[in-house]
This record gives sequence, C-alpha cells and structure tokens, in this order.
Amino acid sequence: MTRDAFEALERLAGGLGTALLALLTLAFWVLVGAACVVGVGLLMLPAMLALTRALAERERARLNRWGLEVVSPYPVGEAPVGWTARLRAARADPATFRDLSWLAVHGTLGLVLGLVAVILPMITLREATFPLWWRFLPPDMWVTSFGVPVTTWPAMLAVAVGAVIIQVIAVLLGPRMARWQARSGVRLLGPHPSIDLSQRVARLTATRAGALRAHAAELRRIERSLHDGAQNRLVAVVVMVAAARRALARDPALVDLALDRAQGAAEQALSELRGVVRGLLPPILEDRGLAGALNALAAGSQVPCGLAVGELGQLPLSVETTAYFTVAEALTNVGRHSGARRAQVTLSRDRDLLRVVVTDDGKGGADDGSAGTGLAGIRRRVEAHDGVVTLSSPQGGPTRIEVELPCGS
Amino acid sequence: MRIVIAEDDALLREGLVLLLSGEGFEVVAAAPDADGFLAAVAEHHPDVAVVDVRMPPTHTDEGIRAAVKAKRLHPKLAVLVLSAYVEQAFATNLLAESTHGVGYLLKERVGRVEEFVDALRRVAAGGTAMDPEVVAQLFARRSDPLGRLTAREREVLALMAEGLGNTAIAERLVVSDGGVQKHIRSIFAKLDLAPTDQLDRRVAAVLHYLDG
Repeated sequence: MTRDAFEALERLAGGLGTALLALLTLAFWVLVGAACVVGVGLLMLPAMLALTRALAERERARLNRWGLEVVSPYPVGEAPVGWTARLRAARADPATFRDLSWLAVHGTLGLVLGLVAVILPMITLREATFPLWWRFLPPDMWVTSFGVPVTTWPAMLAVAVGAVIIQVIAVLLGPRMARWQARSGVRLLGPHPSIDLSQRVARLTATRAGALRAHAAELRRIERSLHDGAQNRLVAVVVMVAAARRALARDPALVDLALDRAQGAAEQALSELRGVVRGLLPPILEDRGLAGALNALAAGSQVPCGLAVGELGQLPLSVETTAYFTVAEALTNVGRHSGARRAQVTLSRDRDLLRVVVTDDGKGGADDGSAGTGLAGIRRRVEAHDGVVTLSSPQGGPTRIEVELPCGS
Repeated sequence: MRIVIAEDDALLREGLVLLLSGEGFEVVAAAPDADGFLAAVAEHHPDVAVVDVRMPPTHTDEGIRAAVKAKRLHPKLAVLVLSAYVEQAFATNLLAESTHGVGYLLKERVGRVEEFVDALRRVAAGGTAMDPEVVAQLFARRSDPLGRLTAREREVLALMAEGLGNTAIAERLVVSDGGVQKHIRSIFAKLDLAPTDQLDRRVAAVLHYLDG
C-alpha cells in the first residue's frame, strides 16, 4: 500500500519532468510556428522535429523503466540528409504526428497530473501543521494555501483535517493517476498498430511452424490409426471371409469360427473408425457445445472432477476443440499419473482470451519436457492457436495447468 | 510347403494361419515382430516367409528390412511381403536384393485365395509376384515408351511384371501360348530388351525397365 503510493508518486514526479520539457517544447513549436509565417521558422523545423523525437525517446525510456514496453517506431538506418529530405521523411512517418499528439497531451494533462501529485503533499504538510504555528505569524498571513482567510481554531482544524482527507484520497488515486499520465505515451509513442508487424511476424512464423508441425503430427497419427487400425481390421475381415468360403466345402465346422472372427473384426474396424473421427472433431462438441462436452468429460473422469464454466460467449470451433482436448488430455494425465483425490476444471473468458485451468491435488512433478506425453500434445495444439500454456507442478503437488487461447477474430 | 508368418496384428495373424492351413500349407511359426520372425526362420528353415511391412516398434518398414535380412541370411528362402498400401520404395528395396523368390502384394489380395496361393507357390518356386497395383504405378511412370505397345501388349507386359509365366498369362488373357509368345517377342523388340527364356530374369528385366 505505502510502497504502491510511493511508486506512484515517483512515477508521477518522473512524468512531471518530461511533461515540463514537453510544455517547453510545445512553447517552442508555437514560436517556430509563428516564425514560419515570416519564413525563418521553416529553417528550424528539422531541429524542432529532432528535439521532439529526443524528448519522445526519453519518455519511452522512462516508460520502459516502469515496465511499460514502448518500442521505438522510427525507421532504422541512415537518416536523410538535407532540409527537404528530412521534412519529407518526417511527413511520411506516421510516428511524427503521433509524437506531436503525445507532446500536446503530455505537456498539458500529464503536466497537471504530475503537478497535483507533487505539490499536493507540500500543501497537505502546510495545512496539517498550520494549527501548530499559525499563531506565530502576523494576522494578515492567516490564510490557507489557496488564500482563504482563517481566523478561528475550529476553521483551522477543519482545514487541517480536510487537507489530510484530500491527501489520503490522492494517495489512493496515485497509481491510477500514474497510469493516466503514462497512457498517452503508451498509446502514442509505440509504433502505429499497423506498423508493429515485425514482432508479430516473427511470432506468427514461429506459431505457424508449430501449427504445421502439429498438423503433420496429426496427419501422421490419423494415417497410422487408419492403416494399422481400421484397415488391418478390414483386411482381417477379408481374410476370414475367404477362409470361411474355402472351408465351406472342406470343413464346415470351421466356417462358423471364421465368420465369427470376421464379424468381430468388422465391429472392431467400425469402432476404430469412430475413434479416428472422434479424434478429428469430437461429435459431442457439435451436439452439446463446449460446456456440455466438458460436462461429459468431467463426469467420465477417473478422479472426481469439479467443473466451473463462466460466460464464454461465441467461440470459434477450433478454439473449442483445442479447449476440449486440453481438458481431455489433462484429465487423462490426472487419472493416470497424479494420484489426486480431486480435480477442478475452470473455464473463463476475459475479452479476447479463453482461459482454461485444470488443477488437481495430486503428487505433482508433472513435466512437459519429454515428448509424447499428453502435456507436449497440449502445448503443440495450444501454441498452434497462438495460445500460452503455463504449467506449475512442484514435487508434492498440487498441479495446475493454465491455458490461454486467443479467441478474437 | 512350410511357412513362417510375421504379422503384428493378432487377428490377421490368426486369419492367415487359418486360411493357409486350410489350403494345405504347414504354418510352422507365426511371429508378431521382426526379431521373432528372424528367430523363427533360423529355427524352422521354412520354404516361404509371409511378412507384413509395418511392425513394431516404429510401424514403418520393419517388415521389408526383416525380409531383406532373412533373404541375405537364408538365400534359399522365398519371401512374400504383404503391405497395407503400395510404397514403390519398398518394392524397389526388396527387388534390389533379389527377384528370385520374392513377392510384394497388397494385404487384401489374400482374400482372393486362389490367386494368392498361386502367387505364394510361384514365389516358393523361385519366381516373382508383384502386385498389379505396383505394376500399374510403374506403368504410369513410363507411359511414354509404353505408348508404342498395343493395348494387348501392355496387358501382357503387366502380367509379365507381376511375375506370371507364359501359360498363366495365356490363361488370364484367354489366348494360346503361341499368341503370348508372339506378343512377348514384339514387346521385347519394341522396348529394346534382350530376350530371355528364364522367367525370373525376364521379370527382373521388365521390372528394371519399368523402374526406369
């Protein structure tokens, strides 16, 4: 609480510093703008742009120090040479106008917030201690900080108490004020949303590779379960039927055995096909929706399992499928390895994120480093969706798997 | 005729044993994996081995590798490989070892018992049995030079590639032996192949030609 308050004050004071510089720069801009009318100001434009950028860079560094990541949006490489080239480059760069907008907001609103935060404690100190030393002053100085005359003890005390109350409110609002002050920088000093592509591209490339890997692994799994499963059963049916036909003439006693085996093999082929199809897209998801499908999973869990599904809204089918498999795999793991007595599945939606949390009170020690475990499968599927898996499973438990899936458009 | 089977699927293994025993073959061992198969071959010295391509542990080409190894260790052993699907590389691997007493068939051919038994006997006698599907894929690859052949000649070539002898080809196509021989001479001339009367050399030449 106190730490938050002091941190907020420190941030606001730091913001006040750049805000004062921003105000100064704004004043320069006004002067240069006026000078442009008569012509000389035009010569100063490149210098003013450079000054604005320098100040913006300073603010970015300050925000980054406080953990608000603001990436510098300026193009990398040689700066253009010459007045025209520099102005043209600045005009073409959306960052220029965003910098100027920030200058205007931070130099005014940011300045006011910083001033309030820094000066208010001084005023409070004066008002709260005023009752102790006002008697020593000449009567014409018996006024509050805002110039209101006070002459009686009750009025004096009321002012002191009021100042303290206002200060408490200011302290409580401190972190929020710091956020307000930083907001213009966070919004305007970062790259324009359409420019911030490189990081996104790098990330997409990685997740796309993950998606392709997951896709290839899925295809391999399907191919294998078809070839080694259903197809083998069907071959067995063919062989058994052939054996039965050949036995008809020679050894009628064998016919029934062979046909019985053939029937069994055909039934197995059907169940294997069902298994493959279920692995592609669980029909229960289509029939009952995610909540219903999870209900069935929880009910079928080896370990008693609680289920809490919040308001999820509309979700893409692929996200629902991934969430379903995550829970299915996680509960299978719980049943097989954890030795838990209870498990809990929680789904919630936070704007563009679907959060799936599976916890158990088992012995922990789950590790997704080794390939082939259900956890590695979860990670592959989730990362293919740009999602994040967080696993916490200390020896002795409990185990908690949290999956965040982006589900915006 | 003594047979060893290598097939990891229990039901299919049982089916093969049932079917082949019913046809009068003596199934001396049926192994579920490559190691068991090689051990059984070493122990029983069978005439023919019937081997599934995909077996544990990796379910890829264990059967082919085991068949090639068994063939190397026991040159007189005939090997008939059964595959769930046609993989040209498998057939090529197998034929690279030898065309003598080698077969490669799709699994479901087992159901056409007479043809399957015929192929099995052919392989056991030192001949070759290639699945029509394999031959069709090879044909697709060499469609250009094969265009010089008549439709009937292509049919004869395909049956030759499958490993059938003249009489068998004549029976399949319902023509006379002499007619088949005439077609074969014409095919060899058109494809510029050295004529040979020995069946397995002929199959080797044809398959080698088709494999490009």
